[in-house]
This record gives sequence, C-alpha cells and structure tokens, in this order.
Amino acid sequence: MTNPEQSVLRLLAEGEGEFRLTDPDDLRAWMRDRKRREFVDKTATAREAVARLVADGDYVSFDFSSYTRGPQILIREIIRQRRKDLWYCAKFTLMESTLLVAAGCCSRIDVGFLGLGDTLNRAVEEGRVQVTEWTNGTLTLRHLAGAMGLPFLPTRALLGTDTLRYSGARVVEDLFTGKPIALVPAVNPDVGLIHVHQADIYGNARCFGPGVSPLETAMASRKVIISADEIIDPEDIRKDPGRTTIPYYLVDAVVYAPFGAYPGGLPGAYEMDHEHFAEFFASERRGGIREYLERYIFSVEFHEEMLERRVGLARLAELRRRAVIKEGYR
Amino acid sequence: MSQASPGPGPRGSAPDHTETEVMIALCARLLEDQRTAFIGFGMPQVAAILAQRLHAPHLVQVFEFGAIGPIPLTPFVRNTMGGPANCYRSLAWTNMNTIFAQAQLGLIDYGVLGATQIDLYGNINSTMLGEDYRRPARRFPGAGGATEVASYCWRTIVIMLHERRRFVPRVDFVSSPGYLDGTPGARERAGLPAGTGPWRIVTSKALFGFDEESKKITLLGVLRGLSPEQVLAEMECKPLVAARVEELDPPTARELAILREEIDPAGTIIGRRGKA
Repeated sequence: MTNPEQSVLRLLAEGEGEFRLTDPDDLRAWMRDRKRREFVDKTATAREAVARLVADGDYVSFDFSSYTRGPQILIREIIRQRRKDLWYCAKFTLMESTLLVAAGCCSRIDVGFLGLGDTLNRAVEEGRVQVTEWTNGTLTLRHLAGAMGLPFLPTRALLGTDTLRYSGARVVEDLFTGKPIALVPAVNPDVGLIHVHQADIYGNARCFGPGVSPLETAMASRKVIISADEIIDPEDIRKDPGRTTIPYYLVDAVVYAPFGAYPGGLPGAYEMDHEHFAEFFASERRGGIREYLERYIFSVEFHEEMLERRVGLARLAELRRRAVIKEGYR
Repeated sequence: MSQASPGPGPRGSAPDHTETEVMIALCARLLEDQRTAFIGFGMPQVAAILAQRLHAPHLVQVFEFGAIGPIPLTPFVRNTMGGPANCYRSLAWTNMNTIFAQAQLGLIDYGVLGATQIDLYGNINSTMLGEDYRRPARRFPGAGGATEVASYCWRTIVIMLHERRRFVPRVDFVSSPGYLDGTPGARERAGLPAGTGPWRIVTSKALFGFDEESKKITLLGVLRGLSPEQVLAEMECKPLVAARVEELDPPTARELAILREEIDPAGTIIGRRGKA
C-alpha cells in the first residue's frame, strides 16, 4: 500500500521567474481548430506573414543561431513593423536580441544566452528589459514539453544554481527515486520562426545539418512562420520523406527567402558574412545601433531590397562561393 | 590588468607565446584520445582541435547544437560552432535536446568551458556582478549551455585567463554548479548527477584541481618560470596547494606551430589576450 504522506509531491525550491502557463487542453483545442490539415498554398511575403501572425505582446521563439540558419529575414521584418512588448526567447542569440531591444520591440527576454554588448547589458542593468534566467538546455527542454502537449518536463540541470532561483523552475522530491529533480514548465510560443533550406508551398520543410530544436519549436508554437531559401515541389517531399524536418500541418506561413539567414550562413548554401558581423559589433560598441537599424531595416522596404542595395549581389555570390563544404547539407 | 604573459626565456626577454596560447596548450594536454568531450564556445574549441591534431585524433567532440564527433576543418572559423567548418566530418548531427540527454545519461567524459568568474569551490558565474540581482553592477550574457555541461559531464575542465578578480572566495551568482558550498555530497544533495563536478582549471599561469575532502581549488602546477606564490598572489581567493607543485612546460614548438599555422593563422583567438 502506498503511504499517502509519501505520495505527496514535496516542493523543495521554487524559482521566482515569470512564465506563461499553458493549459494542455486549451493548447489541444488550438491545435484542433487553428492548424489546417487541408493542403493549401501557404506562401506569403515576409511582410504579409509578420503582419498576420505576429502581434504586440507575443512570445517569440526562433531556431537556431545568429550565425547559422537563423530566421533573420523575419526578425528584421518584425522590427520594420515595429512590434511592441515582445517576449523573446534567447536560446542562443548574439544579434537578434540586441536589434529587437535597440528597436524597442522587446520588453522581456528568457535568457539562455543573452547576446553580447552594452546595448543589452545596459537595458538589463537599467530595468528596461526584464530578464528571466534559464539555460540553453532548459529553454530547449521547455520547447520539448510544449511540443509534447505536457505541462512540464523534469531535468537534472539548474539544480544547485542561482539560475534556478531566478527561473520559473521548481524542484521537487521525485516520487520514484526520492531524489531532488527540477521541473521546467512547458513553453508554447505564440510565434515560432524557423528558417529552413527547403519547403513546399504547404509548409513541409527540410533543414539540413545540426540544429537546436526546429521540430520542437514548430510543434510547440501556436503560429509558425517558415522562411525557406528554396521552394520545392511537393512531389520531392514524397520522394524522400526521411528528410522532412517539419510536416506541413504545423506551419501557418511559408516565406520564400533566398539568403533569409543573412548575415548568418545557411550550411552548404552560403557562409555567414563575417565582415557584416564585424560591422554590426563595431557599431554596437560605439553606440551606433540606431544607424545600423536605419541602414539595414528601416530605410529599405523589404529583404530583397536590402540584399541588393545594402549588401550587393557580388557579395552574396562571394558568400555562396565560400560555402565549400557541401557534404550532408543536401 | 596583469603583466605581460610569462615567458620561458631569460629575465627581461619578450615572451614567445601569448597567455591564450598557454591556456589552450595546457587544456589540450588534458584531453584524452578515444574519449567524449562536450566542447564550449571559443577557446575550448581551439583546445579540442589542438588535442585532435596532436595526441587525440579520436577525441569525440560534442556540441550543444548536436554535432557528434566532428573533425573541424582548419583554419578555425571563429563564431560558427554550429556551422559547416566546426561540424565537418561529424559522426552524427543531432540537436540540443538529444545531445544534452546523452550528457545527462552519463555518456560524456569531459566538459570544457570558458568562464568569466569562478570561486573556491569551482562554481561558475557568467550572469552578473553585484550584491543585488535586480540591480546588477555588470550584466553578462548568462549561463548559455554551460550549466548543462557543468552538471552532466563526468569531469569538467574550465579555461580562464589568470586575473585576480576572476578567482573569488564566493561568486556573486552561481550560473553553473561547481561543488556548491563545498560540504561533502553537496552536488548529490542538490540532485545533480553523482560523481560529477569540476576537475581541472587551466589558466594562463597554472593548473588547478580540487581537493577530495574539502572540494577547494588546489594548485597542482605552475608554468615554468613562475613560483606558486606569484600565481596565488593573482587570485582573490586562497586555494590549497598540492604537496608537490608540478612545473608546467610552456607551449612547445610543435603546439605553437599547429596553433599558429594550421588552426588559427589569422590570430582570431590565440593572437590576442584571451577572453572567456
């Protein structure tokens, strides 16, 4: 017989960080009602997709890093449309969080890795941006919980740290082993932003190479925008289904976005633009982020115009030439 | 700022290697062949590549972006831990949840991390400085994936520039766990995997381990030409000192040649004062 006293889950510690609770049944209802099973053409421009699917106050999550296969076209469009009060999930961001904060789009950040530089550090020190501490691993695990339709998942990370104190995690005595275990709440982002190598018009998407959590991010998010360097025939998806990363019914919009990860790289397709990042970090260091935002985002109407007028086709061709490692990326 | 890097040459001569090269060479020497190692961003990457090019061709590097067992293409491309050069010739490409699960499962022998600040019990701070978390005197990028690495890997190696303010009695914020308050079994009591923890700290001047009993940082070796006293003077905390302090060879000509000619000819990491 189970001793009823022993079967009470003992709360050992509780972080004070904030998070948005998701009721798994509300989430299921959303997935039932809002995720379309019909095969419909979901292609949209970045402007249309962001206007329709990203609202002020949304929790926004992206995959995978500033340097590699990040949805940079979508981040820039969010800034261009001047969304406000976003809650941004910074799993591994060196650039996007800085731009979003500098442009006044973002008031809260869940931190794995916050990014570098004074723009962000000062915003946190002065309380203009509220930070909740997590780790790269626990933020990604929260997406997995969200992707599974579960309220939380257990982990042996965060234990013993001050990170735990300022996170939203709880520590309990595990009912099975009696050992302390950390529970992290699911995150179900309002918007997931994922850049991929290839997608069809319905949203079936492929990304190649290592990554953070493209599938978990797509499954956990209420609204998903895919930006794709290449649009492929749905028949090609069916010919090689083992390479599909994200099935279409998770996806709400598909944005055709050559060089959509720029200035980051897309493995096998184009290299990151080191010189651009150097320019970005230099402008950040000398307090010139506003000029950077003006030059690359506000003064151009859309992505292709930025590529043509601010980066130049010769430079893009050079980045394609530099992508000499192809193995595994197609 | 500490003085110029310690050199092996006669007094007054210019050192023929940088502080970063010292740290990287000392760290590489600790990495064994045919072992798994979770590699952090920056200097740990260069140390792992150096080990691979020297004595550990089958060192299986794993990364938080899910690459398992790459043989990174050199020259080293700074900043692209998840990019094609670093993930070149991997055994498998997985993702973050999978690779951290494998570390949690106990499959990863070593973790290699840079750190901003560390304390007497090996706790790492990469979050903030100051008394009050809500009003930080300085904000840093945060724990990143280092918390998982320091929690799950069997032996964690920390690489740090040897500066006084980086070695403190207690960190202002424990981002990644060391031996916590140093009491016996503190990690296990917190729920962390048993038998894990910081194992070595490699600096630009010295090598440290941890005392079995007290879990305090313990000086194991000093770079040739330096005395233990000189090393300890550059630390705010007071480590223990091993009964016999080893003399550490500075980077060898072979190590330096591989670092400078093959791995980092542009000097993006080795050519400047190291920053964790």
